[in-house]
Amino acid sequence: MSPEYTPTELMAIVMARSFGDGEVVVMGAVPTIPLAACRLARALHAPALSYIVGGSGTVDPAPARLSTQSCGPELVGGPCTLPLPEVVLLEGRGDVLDVFCAGGLQIDARGNCNLVCVGDREHPRLRGPGSVGLPFLPAVGRTLVYTLAHNPRTFVEQVDFVSGAGDRAQLVVTPLATMDFDPQSRRMRLASTHPGVTVDDVVAATGFELVLPPSVPETPPPTGEELAELRRLDPAGSLR
Amino acid sequence: MATRLLSPEEAVAELVPEHGVVGVGGMHATAAPMALVRELVRRRVPVGRLVTSPSASLQADLPIGAGLVDELVSPYVGFEDLGLAPCFRRAAEEGSLRIVECDEGGLTHALYAGAGGIPFVPLPPGIERTDIPAASPGLYKETKDPFTGETCWAIQAIRPDVALIACLEADERGNVAFGRVPFTDRLLALAARRVVVQVERIVSSAQIAAHAPGTTLPAFLVAAVVVAPGGCAPTSFPGEYGRDEAELTAYLAAARTPEGFEEYLRAAAG
Repeated sequence: MSPEYTPTELMAIVMARSFGDGEVVVMGAVPTIPLAACRLARALHAPALSYIVGGSGTVDPAPARLSTQSCGPELVGGPCTLPLPEVVLLEGRGDVLDVFCAGGLQIDARGNCNLVCVGDREHPRLRGPGSVGLPFLPAVGRTLVYTLAHNPRTFVEQVDFVSGAGDRAQLVVTPLATMDFDPQSRRMRLASTHPGVTVDDVVAATGFELVLPPSVPETPPPTGEELAELRRLDPAGSLR
Repeated sequence: MATRLLSPEEAVAELVPEHGVVGVGGMHATAAPMALVRELVRRRVPVGRLVTSPSASLQADLPIGAGLVDELVSPYVGFEDLGLAPCFRRAAEEGSLRIVECDEGGLTHALYAGAGGIPFVPLPPGIERTDIPAASPGLYKETKDPFTGETCWAIQAIRPDVALIACLEADERGNVAFGRVPFTDRLLALAARRVVVQVERIVSSAQIAAHAPGTTLPAFLVAAVVVAPGGCAPTSFPGEYGRDEAELTAYLAAARTPEGFEEYLRAAAG
Protein backbone atom coordinates (compact mmCIF):
# COMPACT_ATOMS: atom_id res chain seq x y z
CA MET A 1 0.00 0.00 0.00
CA SER A 2 1.60 3.23 -1.15
CA PRO A 3 1.31 6.36 0.99
CA GLU A 4 -0.96 9.22 -0.08
CA TYR A 5 0.69 11.79 -2.32
CA THR A 6 -0.28 14.61 -4.69
CA PRO A 7 0.08 14.48 -8.51
CA THR A 8 2.70 17.23 -8.26
CA GLU A 9 4.73 15.22 -5.78
CA LEU A 10 4.58 12.24 -8.14
CA MET A 11 5.80 14.47 -10.99
CA ALA A 12 8.83 15.55 -8.95
CA ILE A 13 9.56 11.94 -8.05
CA VAL A 14 9.25 10.72 -11.65
CA MET A 15 11.54 13.52 -12.82
CA ALA A 16 14.05 12.70 -10.07
CA ARG A 17 14.17 9.06 -11.18
CA SER A 18 15.11 10.17 -14.71
CA PHE A 19 18.27 11.99 -13.60
CA GLY A 20 21.55 10.07 -13.67
CA ASP A 21 24.38 10.48 -11.21
CA GLY A 22 26.85 13.12 -12.34
CA GLU A 23 24.47 14.80 -14.77
CA VAL A 24 23.99 18.56 -14.96
CA VAL A 25 20.41 19.84 -15.08
CA VAL A 26 19.28 23.35 -15.98
CA MET A 27 15.85 24.79 -15.18
CA GLY A 28 14.02 28.05 -15.84
CA ALA A 29 11.28 30.20 -14.35
CA VAL A 30 9.06 28.82 -11.55
CA PRO A 31 11.65 26.18 -10.65
CA THR A 32 9.69 24.50 -7.84
CA ILE A 33 9.14 21.06 -9.38
CA PRO A 34 12.51 20.55 -11.13
CA LEU A 35 14.32 21.96 -8.08
CA ALA A 36 12.53 19.40 -5.90
CA ALA A 37 13.36 16.66 -8.40
CA CYS A 38 17.05 17.54 -8.50
CA ARG A 39 17.38 17.68 -4.77
CA LEU A 40 15.52 14.42 -4.39
CA ALA A 41 17.73 12.68 -6.95
CA ARG A 42 20.83 13.92 -5.16
CA ALA A 43 19.53 12.67 -1.85
CA LEU A 44 18.53 9.23 -3.13
CA HIS A 45 20.52 7.96 -6.08
CA ALA A 46 22.52 10.72 -7.77
CA PRO A 47 24.78 12.38 -5.18
CA ALA A 48 26.97 13.92 -7.90
CA LEU A 49 24.05 15.50 -9.79
CA SER A 50 24.39 19.25 -10.31
CA TYR A 51 21.67 21.74 -11.18
CA ILE A 52 21.55 25.36 -12.23
CA VAL A 53 18.52 27.40 -11.22
CA GLY A 54 17.29 29.69 -13.93
CA GLY A 55 18.39 33.26 -14.27
CA SER A 56 19.99 33.35 -10.83
CA GLY A 57 22.74 31.05 -12.08
CA THR A 58 23.01 29.48 -8.63
CA VAL A 59 24.42 25.97 -8.71
CA ASP A 60 23.08 23.32 -6.32
CA PRO A 61 21.18 25.69 -4.00
CA ALA A 62 19.37 24.01 -1.12
CA PRO A 63 16.98 26.65 0.22
CA ALA A 64 15.01 25.86 3.36
CA ARG A 65 11.80 25.99 1.32
CA LEU A 66 11.42 25.13 -2.35
CA SER A 67 11.68 28.30 -4.37
CA THR A 68 8.78 29.31 -6.57
CA GLN A 69 10.87 32.07 -8.21
CA SER A 70 14.09 31.48 -10.10
CA CYS A 71 16.03 34.52 -8.84
CA GLY A 72 14.70 34.68 -5.31
CA PRO A 73 16.95 35.84 -2.47
CA GLU A 74 16.58 32.42 -0.83
CA LEU A 75 18.68 30.96 -3.64
CA VAL A 76 21.63 33.18 -2.80
CA GLY A 77 24.11 31.10 -0.89
CA GLY A 78 24.19 28.15 -3.23
CA PRO A 79 27.75 26.85 -3.08
CA CYS A 80 28.50 28.33 -6.50
CA THR A 81 27.01 30.92 -8.81
CA LEU A 82 27.44 31.35 -12.55
CA PRO A 83 26.53 34.85 -13.70
CA LEU A 84 23.82 34.50 -16.34
CA PRO A 85 26.08 35.36 -19.32
CA GLU A 86 28.18 32.34 -18.36
CA VAL A 87 25.14 30.06 -18.14
CA VAL A 88 24.31 31.26 -21.66
CA LEU A 89 27.82 30.33 -22.84
CA LEU A 90 27.58 26.85 -21.35
CA GLU A 91 24.10 26.31 -22.82
CA GLY A 92 25.44 27.17 -26.25
CA ARG A 93 28.54 24.99 -26.26
CA GLY A 94 26.45 21.89 -25.97
CA ASP A 95 28.74 19.48 -24.12
CA VAL A 96 28.31 20.55 -20.51
CA LEU A 97 24.61 20.43 -19.74
CA ASP A 98 22.75 17.11 -19.83
CA VAL A 99 19.11 17.92 -19.11
CA PHE A 100 17.01 21.02 -19.82
CA CYS A 101 13.71 21.12 -17.91
CA ALA A 102 11.24 23.04 -20.06
CA GLY A 103 7.55 23.73 -20.48
CA GLY A 104 5.23 25.91 -22.49
CA LEU A 105 1.85 27.46 -23.11
CA GLN A 106 1.70 24.84 -25.83
CA ILE A 107 3.61 21.59 -26.28
CA ASP A 108 3.20 19.67 -29.50
CA ALA A 109 3.35 16.12 -30.78
CA ARG A 110 7.06 16.48 -31.59
CA GLY A 111 7.99 18.05 -28.27
CA ASN A 112 8.27 21.61 -29.56
CA CYS A 113 7.54 24.17 -26.83
CA ASN A 114 5.86 27.56 -27.22
CA LEU A 115 6.03 30.31 -24.62
CA VAL A 116 5.12 33.16 -26.97
CA CYS A 117 1.51 33.11 -28.08
CA VAL A 118 -1.68 31.21 -28.76
CA GLY A 119 -2.97 32.14 -32.20
CA ASP A 120 -1.23 34.44 -34.64
CA ARG A 121 1.77 36.20 -33.08
CA GLU A 122 0.74 39.62 -34.37
CA HIS A 123 -2.80 39.24 -33.04
CA PRO A 124 -2.58 36.57 -30.35
CA ARG A 125 -5.55 35.19 -28.44
CA LEU A 126 -3.14 34.79 -25.54
CA ARG A 127 0.27 36.36 -25.22
CA GLY A 128 2.75 34.41 -23.12
CA PRO A 129 5.88 35.76 -21.47
CA GLY A 130 8.36 34.96 -24.28
CA SER A 131 10.87 32.36 -25.40
CA VAL A 132 13.58 33.00 -22.77
CA GLY A 133 16.18 30.20 -23.04
CA LEU A 134 14.11 27.65 -24.96
CA PRO A 135 16.02 28.04 -28.27
CA PHE A 136 18.85 26.22 -26.49
CA LEU A 137 16.80 23.03 -26.19
CA PRO A 138 18.49 21.28 -29.13
CA ALA A 139 21.93 22.24 -27.77
CA VAL A 140 21.50 20.51 -24.39
CA GLY A 141 21.80 16.72 -24.04
CA ARG A 142 18.10 16.02 -23.64
CA THR A 143 14.90 17.89 -22.92
CA LEU A 144 12.58 16.98 -20.08
CA VAL A 145 9.22 18.61 -20.76
CA TYR A 146 6.94 19.07 -17.77
CA THR A 147 3.65 20.86 -17.24
CA LEU A 148 0.85 20.95 -14.71
CA ALA A 149 -1.63 21.57 -17.54
CA HIS A 150 -2.34 18.30 -19.30
CA ASN A 151 -5.26 19.39 -21.46
CA PRO A 152 -6.02 19.73 -25.18
CA ARG A 153 -5.24 23.47 -25.16
CA THR A 154 -1.69 22.80 -24.01
CA PHE A 155 -1.02 19.55 -25.87
CA VAL A 156 -1.58 20.48 -29.51
CA GLU A 157 -0.67 18.86 -32.82
CA GLN A 158 1.55 21.79 -33.75
CA VAL A 159 2.55 24.77 -31.62
CA ASP A 160 1.53 28.22 -32.88
CA PHE A 161 5.10 29.46 -32.33
CA VAL A 162 8.28 27.42 -31.88
CA SER A 163 10.21 28.88 -28.93
CA GLY A 164 12.34 25.76 -28.57
CA ALA A 165 12.56 22.78 -30.89
CA GLY A 166 11.68 19.33 -29.61
CA ASP A 167 14.53 17.49 -31.37
CA ARG A 168 15.99 16.24 -28.12
CA ALA A 169 12.80 15.87 -26.08
CA GLN A 170 12.92 12.47 -24.43
CA LEU A 171 10.51 12.56 -21.53
CA VAL A 172 7.27 14.44 -20.83
CA VAL A 173 5.86 14.48 -17.30
CA THR A 174 2.37 15.72 -16.40
CA PRO A 175 -0.07 15.17 -13.53
CA LEU A 176 -1.65 12.35 -15.58
CA ALA A 177 1.11 10.43 -17.28
CA THR A 178 4.63 10.16 -18.60
CA MET A 179 5.33 10.20 -22.31
CA ASP A 180 8.34 9.54 -24.49
CA PHE A 181 8.86 9.72 -28.25
CA ASP A 182 8.40 7.02 -30.85
CA PRO A 183 11.87 6.51 -32.35
CA GLN A 184 10.52 6.13 -35.90
CA SER A 185 7.95 8.91 -36.17
CA ARG A 186 9.44 11.16 -33.39
CA ARG A 187 5.84 11.64 -32.22
CA MET A 188 4.92 11.69 -28.55
CA ARG A 189 4.06 8.26 -27.19
CA LEU A 190 2.28 7.34 -23.98
CA ALA A 191 4.84 5.67 -21.69
CA SER A 192 2.94 5.23 -18.42
CA THR A 193 -0.24 6.37 -16.76
CA HIS A 194 -0.16 7.54 -13.16
CA PRO A 195 -2.06 5.42 -10.62
CA GLY A 196 -5.79 6.05 -10.93
CA VAL A 197 -5.51 7.48 -14.45
CA THR A 198 -6.68 5.48 -17.50
CA VAL A 199 -5.29 5.52 -21.01
CA ASP A 200 -8.62 7.03 -22.10
CA ASP A 201 -8.20 9.87 -19.60
CA VAL A 202 -4.83 10.73 -21.12
CA VAL A 203 -6.06 10.44 -24.69
CA ALA A 204 -8.99 12.74 -23.87
CA ALA A 205 -6.68 15.29 -22.27
CA THR A 206 -4.31 15.38 -25.25
CA GLY A 207 -5.12 17.50 -28.29
CA PHE A 208 -3.32 15.27 -30.79
CA GLU A 209 -3.11 11.59 -31.51
CA LEU A 210 -0.66 10.05 -29.06
CA VAL A 211 1.27 6.99 -30.15
CA LEU A 212 -0.21 4.19 -28.04
CA PRO A 213 1.89 1.10 -27.40
CA PRO A 214 0.05 -2.25 -27.12
CA SER A 215 0.19 -2.10 -23.35
CA VAL A 216 0.78 0.90 -21.13
CA PRO A 217 2.28 0.30 -17.69
CA GLU A 218 1.31 2.20 -14.57
CA THR A 219 3.82 4.78 -13.29
CA PRO A 220 5.36 3.20 -10.19
CA PRO A 221 3.89 5.14 -7.25
CA PRO A 222 6.23 6.87 -4.80
CA THR A 223 8.07 4.61 -2.41
CA GLY A 224 7.94 5.46 1.26
CA GLU A 225 11.56 6.56 1.08
CA GLU A 226 10.99 8.85 -1.93
CA LEU A 227 8.01 10.53 -0.36
CA ALA A 228 9.62 10.95 3.05
CA GLU A 229 12.71 12.53 1.51
CA LEU A 230 10.66 14.78 -0.78
CA ARG A 231 8.63 16.07 2.16
CA ARG A 232 11.79 16.71 4.12
CA LEU A 233 12.91 18.95 1.24
CA ASP A 234 9.51 20.60 1.01
CA PRO A 235 8.49 21.48 4.55
CA ALA A 236 6.25 24.30 3.32
CA GLY A 237 4.27 21.86 1.19
CA SER A 238 4.80 23.72 -2.09
CA LEU A 239 4.07 20.52 -4.01
CA ARG A 240 0.97 19.56 -2.00
CA MET B 1 33.16 63.27 -16.68
CA ALA B 2 32.55 63.03 -12.95
CA THR B 3 29.70 60.88 -11.74
CA ARG B 4 26.82 62.93 -10.42
CA LEU B 5 24.82 62.20 -7.32
CA LEU B 6 21.23 62.88 -8.36
CA SER B 7 17.67 62.39 -7.17
CA PRO B 8 15.50 60.02 -9.23
CA GLU B 9 13.70 63.10 -10.61
CA GLU B 10 16.92 64.77 -11.75
CA ALA B 11 18.44 61.57 -13.14
CA VAL B 12 15.45 60.71 -15.30
CA ALA B 13 14.86 64.31 -16.43
CA GLU B 14 18.48 64.90 -17.42
CA LEU B 15 19.79 61.52 -18.50
CA VAL B 16 16.95 59.53 -20.09
CA PRO B 17 16.38 60.84 -23.62
CA GLU B 18 12.85 60.93 -25.02
CA HIS B 19 12.16 58.25 -27.68
CA GLY B 20 15.54 56.65 -26.94
CA VAL B 21 16.73 53.10 -26.37
CA VAL B 22 16.36 52.47 -22.64
CA GLY B 23 17.86 49.38 -20.99
CA VAL B 24 16.35 48.31 -17.70
CA GLY B 25 18.02 45.78 -15.42
CA GLY B 26 16.93 43.30 -12.77
CA MET B 27 15.96 39.68 -13.43
CA HIS B 28 12.37 38.60 -12.87
CA ALA B 29 11.28 40.27 -9.61
CA THR B 30 14.83 40.69 -8.30
CA ALA B 31 16.86 43.92 -8.26
CA ALA B 32 14.64 45.87 -10.64
CA PRO B 33 15.53 49.59 -10.49
CA MET B 34 11.97 50.55 -9.57
CA ALA B 35 12.77 54.00 -8.12
CA LEU B 36 14.07 55.00 -11.56
CA VAL B 37 11.33 53.17 -13.49
CA ARG B 38 8.60 54.76 -11.38
CA GLU B 39 10.05 58.19 -12.06
CA LEU B 40 10.20 57.44 -15.78
CA VAL B 41 6.51 56.56 -15.64
CA ARG B 42 5.60 59.56 -13.48
CA ARG B 43 7.27 61.91 -15.95
CA ARG B 44 5.72 60.00 -18.86
CA VAL B 45 9.03 59.76 -20.75
CA PRO B 46 8.35 58.14 -24.13
CA VAL B 47 10.64 55.18 -24.81
CA GLY B 48 11.51 54.32 -28.40
CA ARG B 49 12.81 50.87 -27.55
CA LEU B 50 12.80 49.23 -24.14
CA VAL B 51 15.51 46.58 -23.69
CA THR B 52 15.23 44.39 -20.60
CA SER B 53 17.25 41.65 -18.93
CA PRO B 54 16.55 38.15 -20.23
CA SER B 55 13.57 38.14 -17.85
CA ALA B 56 11.62 41.16 -16.66
CA SER B 57 8.52 41.75 -14.57
CA LEU B 58 7.23 45.06 -13.19
CA GLN B 59 10.17 47.05 -14.62
CA ALA B 60 8.72 46.34 -18.09
CA ASP B 61 5.02 45.99 -17.34
CA LEU B 62 4.72 49.42 -15.69
CA PRO B 63 6.10 51.53 -18.59
CA ILE B 64 4.24 49.35 -21.10
CA GLY B 65 0.99 49.82 -19.17
CA ALA B 66 1.55 53.58 -19.12
CA GLY B 67 1.68 53.49 -22.92
CA LEU B 68 5.23 54.81 -23.02
CA VAL B 69 6.92 52.01 -24.96
CA ASP B 70 6.90 51.90 -28.77
CA GLU B 71 9.01 48.78 -29.15
CA LEU B 72 10.08 46.05 -26.73
CA VAL B 73 13.16 43.83 -26.87
CA SER B 74 12.72 41.25 -24.12
CA PRO B 75 12.88 37.46 -24.02
CA TYR B 76 10.41 37.25 -21.11
CA VAL B 77 7.95 39.56 -19.40
CA GLY B 78 6.01 37.87 -16.63
CA PHE B 79 5.70 37.34 -12.91
CA GLU B 80 6.69 33.64 -12.68
CA ASP B 81 4.59 31.91 -10.01
CA LEU B 82 2.40 35.01 -9.54
CA GLY B 83 1.10 35.09 -13.11
CA LEU B 84 1.41 36.65 -16.56
CA ALA B 85 2.27 40.34 -17.01
CA PRO B 86 -1.13 42.03 -17.38
CA CYS B 87 -0.17 45.21 -19.27
CA PHE B 88 2.33 43.47 -21.55
CA ARG B 89 -0.26 40.83 -22.32
CA ARG B 90 -2.98 43.38 -23.05
CA ALA B 91 -0.72 45.50 -25.25
CA ALA B 92 0.42 42.42 -27.19
CA GLU B 93 -3.11 41.13 -27.66
CA GLU B 94 -4.40 44.57 -28.72
CA GLY B 95 -1.44 45.06 -31.04
CA SER B 96 -0.46 48.38 -29.44
CA LEU B 97 3.14 47.33 -28.72
CA ARG B 98 5.81 46.34 -31.27
CA ILE B 99 7.48 43.24 -29.88
CA VAL B 100 10.89 42.28 -31.21
CA GLU B 101 10.80 38.56 -30.49
CA CYS B 102 14.14 37.45 -29.03
CA ASP B 103 15.77 34.94 -26.73
CA GLU B 104 17.94 34.90 -23.65
CA GLY B 105 21.06 33.70 -25.42
CA GLY B 106 20.71 36.08 -28.34
CA LEU B 107 20.07 39.11 -26.14
CA THR B 108 23.03 38.30 -23.91
CA HIS B 109 25.35 37.95 -26.89
CA ALA B 110 23.91 41.14 -28.41
CA LEU B 111 24.73 43.08 -25.24
CA TYR B 112 28.21 41.58 -25.17
CA ALA B 113 28.65 42.75 -28.75
CA GLY B 114 27.33 46.19 -27.83
CA ALA B 115 29.79 46.37 -24.95
CA GLY B 116 32.76 45.42 -27.12
CA GLY B 117 32.11 47.37 -30.29
CA ILE B 118 31.38 44.12 -32.17
CA PRO B 119 28.74 44.72 -34.88
CA PHE B 120 27.05 41.31 -34.60
CA VAL B 121 27.60 37.90 -33.07
CA PRO B 122 27.05 34.51 -34.70
CA LEU B 123 24.84 32.36 -32.49
CA PRO B 124 25.15 28.74 -31.43
CA PRO B 125 22.85 26.25 -33.17
CA GLY B 126 19.24 26.02 -31.99
CA ILE B 127 17.83 29.42 -32.89
CA GLU B 128 17.32 28.35 -36.53
CA ARG B 129 14.92 25.67 -35.32
CA THR B 130 12.62 28.29 -33.77
CA ASP B 131 10.22 30.88 -35.18
CA ILE B 132 12.18 33.72 -33.57
CA PRO B 133 14.47 34.80 -36.46
CA ALA B 134 11.57 34.94 -38.93
CA ALA B 135 9.56 37.03 -36.44
CA SER B 136 12.46 39.44 -35.89
CA PRO B 137 14.27 39.81 -39.24
CA GLY B 138 15.68 43.17 -38.15
CA LEU B 139 17.56 41.63 -35.24
CA TYR B 140 18.52 38.15 -36.49
CA LYS B 141 20.11 37.50 -39.89
CA GLU B 142 21.32 34.39 -41.63
CA THR B 143 25.00 34.48 -42.51
CA LYS B 144 27.92 32.24 -43.36
CA ASP B 145 30.69 31.08 -41.11
CA PRO B 146 33.71 32.51 -42.98
CA PHE B 147 35.88 29.63 -41.75
CA THR B 148 33.70 26.65 -42.64
CA GLY B 149 31.30 28.18 -45.14
CA GLU B 150 28.38 26.76 -43.14
CA THR B 151 25.18 28.68 -42.60
CA CYS B 152 24.64 30.22 -39.20
CA TRP B 153 22.48 32.88 -37.61
CA ALA B 154 23.72 36.13 -36.14
CA ILE B 155 22.25 38.78 -33.88
CA GLN B 156 22.96 42.48 -34.16
CA ALA B 157 24.70 44.33 -31.32
CA ILE B 158 22.45 46.20 -28.90
CA ARG B 159 23.57 49.53 -27.45
CA PRO B 160 21.08 51.25 -25.15
CA ASP B 161 21.25 55.04 -24.97
CA VAL B 162 20.89 54.67 -21.23
CA ALA B 163 20.90 51.71 -18.84
CA LEU B 164 19.01 51.85 -15.55
CA ILE B 165 20.26 49.31 -13.02
CA ALA B 166 20.07 48.72 -9.27
CA CYS B 167 23.15 47.90 -7.19
CA LEU B 168 23.93 47.78 -3.50
CA GLU B 169 26.44 50.53 -2.85
CA ALA B 170 28.40 53.37 -4.41
CA ASP B 171 31.10 55.63 -3.09
CA GLU B 172 31.03 59.39 -3.51
CA ARG B 173 33.11 59.23 -6.69
CA GLY B 174 30.55 56.93 -8.28
CA ASN B 175 32.34 53.59 -8.07
CA VAL B 176 29.60 51.00 -7.70
CA ALA B 177 29.42 47.57 -6.06
CA PHE B 178 26.74 45.20 -7.31
CA GLY B 179 26.47 43.42 -3.95
CA ARG B 180 24.38 40.73 -5.62
CA VAL B 181 24.36 38.28 -8.50
CA PRO B 182 24.86 40.60 -11.48
CA PHE B 183 22.67 38.65 -13.92
CA THR B 184 23.21 40.40 -17.29
CA ASP B 185 23.15 43.86 -15.67
CA ARG B 186 26.93 44.22 -15.97
CA LEU B 187 26.72 43.60 -19.71
CA LEU B 188 23.79 45.99 -19.97
CA ALA B 189 25.83 48.67 -18.19
CA LEU B 190 28.91 48.01 -20.33
CA ALA B 191 26.85 48.11 -23.53
CA ALA B 192 25.03 51.36 -22.74
CA ARG B 193 26.16 54.80 -23.80
CA ARG B 194 25.19 56.11 -20.38
CA VAL B 195 24.56 54.34 -17.06
CA VAL B 196 22.35 55.43 -14.17
CA VAL B 197 22.72 53.30 -11.05
CA GLN B 198 20.22 53.21 -8.25
CA VAL B 199 21.87 52.15 -4.96
CA GLU B 200 20.73 51.36 -1.43
CA ARG B 201 23.38 53.61 0.12
CA ILE B 202 26.61 55.56 -0.26
CA VAL B 203 29.64 54.07 1.49
CA SER B 204 33.35 54.87 1.69
CA SER B 205 35.73 54.03 -1.14
CA ALA B 206 37.42 51.56 1.18
CA GLN B 207 34.13 49.71 1.57
CA ILE B 208 33.65 49.57 -2.20
CA ALA B 209 37.21 48.30 -2.58
CA ALA B 210 36.50 45.55 -0.06
CA HIS B 211 34.02 43.89 -2.46
CA ALA B 212 35.31 40.97 -4.46
CA PRO B 213 37.11 41.90 -7.68
CA GLY B 214 34.81 41.86 -10.68
CA THR B 215 31.73 42.83 -8.71
CA THR B 216 32.24 46.55 -9.10
CA LEU B 217 31.76 49.14 -11.85
CA PRO B 218 34.20 52.04 -12.14
CA ALA B 219 32.93 55.58 -11.74
CA PHE B 220 34.02 56.51 -15.27
CA LEU B 221 31.25 54.27 -16.65
CA VAL B 222 28.59 55.67 -14.33
CA ALA B 223 26.85 58.91 -15.33
CA ALA B 224 24.81 59.18 -12.16
CA VAL B 225 24.20 57.50 -8.84
CA VAL B 226 20.77 57.74 -7.29
CA VAL B 227 20.38 56.82 -3.63
CA ALA B 228 17.07 55.05 -3.15
CA PRO B 229 16.94 52.85 -0.04
CA GLY B 230 14.39 50.10 -0.57
CA GLY B 231 14.12 51.38 -4.13
CA CYS B 232 13.73 47.99 -5.80
CA ALA B 233 10.46 47.31 -3.99
CA PRO B 234 8.17 45.56 -4.61
CA THR B 235 10.91 43.49 -6.25
CA SER B 236 13.66 42.12 -4.02
CA PHE B 237 17.26 43.03 -3.39
CA PRO B 238 19.13 39.90 -2.25
CA GLY B 239 20.54 40.29 1.22
CA GLU B 240 18.53 43.46 1.86
CA TYR B 241 14.84 42.65 1.37
CA GLY B 242 12.61 40.06 -0.27
CA ARG B 243 9.96 40.65 -2.89
CA ASP B 244 6.73 42.17 -1.57
CA GLU B 245 4.28 39.50 -2.66
CA ALA B 246 1.23 41.33 -1.32
CA GLU B 247 2.12 44.44 -3.31
CA LEU B 248 2.90 42.49 -6.48
CA THR B 249 -0.33 40.55 -6.17
CA ALA B 250 -2.25 43.78 -5.64
CA TYR B 251 -0.60 45.19 -8.75
CA LEU B 252 -1.50 42.14 -10.82
CA ALA B 253 -5.12 42.37 -9.69
CA ALA B 254 -5.36 46.12 -10.33
CA ALA B 255 -3.62 46.02 -13.72
CA ARG B 256 -6.07 43.45 -15.07
CA THR B 257 -8.00 46.39 -16.56
CA PRO B 258 -6.65 49.68 -17.97
CA GLU B 259 -8.79 51.57 -15.45
CA GLY B 260 -7.41 49.55 -12.56
CA PHE B 261 -3.89 50.17 -13.81
CA GLU B 262 -4.43 53.94 -14.00
CA GLU B 263 -5.87 53.90 -10.50
CA TYR B 264 -2.84 51.96 -9.28
CA LEU B 265 -0.55 54.59 -10.81
CA ARG B 266 -2.50 57.43 -9.22
CA ALA B 267 -2.42 55.74 -5.80
CA ALA B 268 1.31 54.98 -6.16
CA ALA B 269 1.97 58.63 -7.01
CA GLY B 270 0.29 59.53 -3.69
